[in-house]
Amino acid sequence: MLKGLFNVNRWQRLLEALPEYYIPGFLMTLRTALCALILALILGVIFGMFSTSRSKILRAISRVYIEFFQNTPLALQVVFYYSCLPILLGGGGMRIPKFVLGVMGVGIYTGAYMSEVIRTGIEAIPKGQTEAAYSQGFSYMQTMRYIIFPQTIKIIMPPLANQALNLVKNTSILAMVAGMDLMYFTDSWGSNTGYFAQAYFTSALFYFIICYPIARLARYLEIRAMRQPVGKRLLEEVNADGGAN
Amino acid sequence: MKRSVFKRIAAMTLAGLMAMSLSACSGGGSSDGLAAIKERGVLKVGVKADVPKFSLQKTDGSGYEGFEDDLAYEIAGRIFDMTGEEAKAEDKVEFQAVNAKTRGPLVENGEVDCVIATFTITPERKETYNFSPAYYTDAVGLLVLKDSGIKDVEDLDGKIIGVAQSSTSQAEFEKYKEENGVKATPTFQEFATYPELAQALAAKQIDVFSVDGAILAGYVNDTNELLDVRYGEQEYGICSNKENEELSELINTTVQEMLDDGSMDALLEKWGL
Repeated sequence: MLKGLFNVNRWQRLLEALPEYYIPGFLMTLRTALCALILALILGVIFGMFSTSRSKILRAISRVYIEFFQNTPLALQVVFYYSCLPILLGGGGMRIPKFVLGVMGVGIYTGAYMSEVIRTGIEAIPKGQTEAAYSQGFSYMQTMRYIIFPQTIKIIMPPLANQALNLVKNTSILAMVAGMDLMYFTDSWGSNTGYFAQAYFTSALFYFIICYPIARLARYLEIRAMRQPVGKRLLEEVNADGGAN
Repeated sequence: MKRSVFKRIAAMTLAGLMAMSLSACSGGGSSDGLAAIKERGVLKVGVKADVPKFSLQKTDGSGYEGFEDDLAYEIAGRIFDMTGEEAKAEDKVEFQAVNAKTRGPLVENGEVDCVIATFTITPERKETYNFSPAYYTDAVGLLVLKDSGIKDVEDLDGKIIGVAQSSTSQAEFEKYKEENGVKATPTFQEFATYPELAQALAAKQIDVFSVDGAILAGYVNDTNELLDVRYGEQEYGICSNKENEELSELINTTVQEMLDDGSMDALLEKWGL
């Protein structure tokens, strides 16, 4: 396989295959990943808040959701949506579009992980913060919005970005159910021509193109979050000036 | 100081990893010729595990049985100067299960010496691999669910035909369509394995399961039926690494001899093909 890697003729064939195989596959993967990421974040915030709420029922609901989706394989979930869900939803013959399948499969799965990240982030904020907010007359939502979340985001940014990267890569599971994504077209072209080295290297490059900016963005946000807030900095400057005078 | 040491370690680790992966890839011994196989004492053959009559993994896990496995023993017999029966008795073949996706790379890497796995001979594949003369001629079949209402090729308009990755089924359908003036235009979806295709058909996620007739025969049950069309005659050949000329030569002559002296027909008959 590696010997064929430097075969010019094979790379030529790959270039010809780009518009028909790789570009549609790449777009499908990109679309699926973006929408699944949004879904996962929404689910993550909702169930992350449920997990930390005082209501036993809400906590139980989020526990069931998280444990179920974390402890079953993604491949199984996607195949279930693909072949069993249509039957449950009202007889055979119904077909869920591959895009929806991907967003659902990967989004719900990653949402469970994101819930856990957000829960631990919220729990990492000392209880005193909440109590102080309540004592000042903040409601639950206000406390979350103005006091807890801004501090949580700093803590959860790195693990959240990890989950986002995993999500992008996990969309390749769609290939199992002929999902018309990047991995599907890679397999298809690679096995039709036998030029596996070219097929998989190029595919890796396309996944990298999606993942690398996310990784950089996460790093940037992480660094920015470590900077001191403006208010605190001003206060320190004032103190320093006061000390000098 | 600290930083440069770290950089050096990182660079060395990376170089080491790359060298390891390179040697891992090239170290299959694909072009070592017959001497290497003789020295090793076994012929490594890639076969299907899920095609009834051709090559099926035994349920007790004791190996594989089928026409293609017997053919592998015949080839091994030629290499180790014995009959196919003797090669079977002495376990001269090391089987490895392959599918449509893995069989090509396995031959190219030298992980297996040859592949006898319902591998259709095509001009493009001949550029990459060596193929023996054809030992079996098959045709593409169309399997549909009985309650789908599909009775004819013309009913396939707008339907989804599931085919196996790296198979010729789609190209053959297009050809048949053109030659016979069929107006129906179905779409195609590819799956990695036959069981996945069978499952997709059962769950009605595809309308038609279309692969080589020999393989399809293993998936017929009381809920589905084969359409009465067969097209795209295709020939199966033994695939080996182009660079291993000695082995390729031996496989080619062995198959040709078996075709000429009728032993191939006898073997096919033995398995009811």
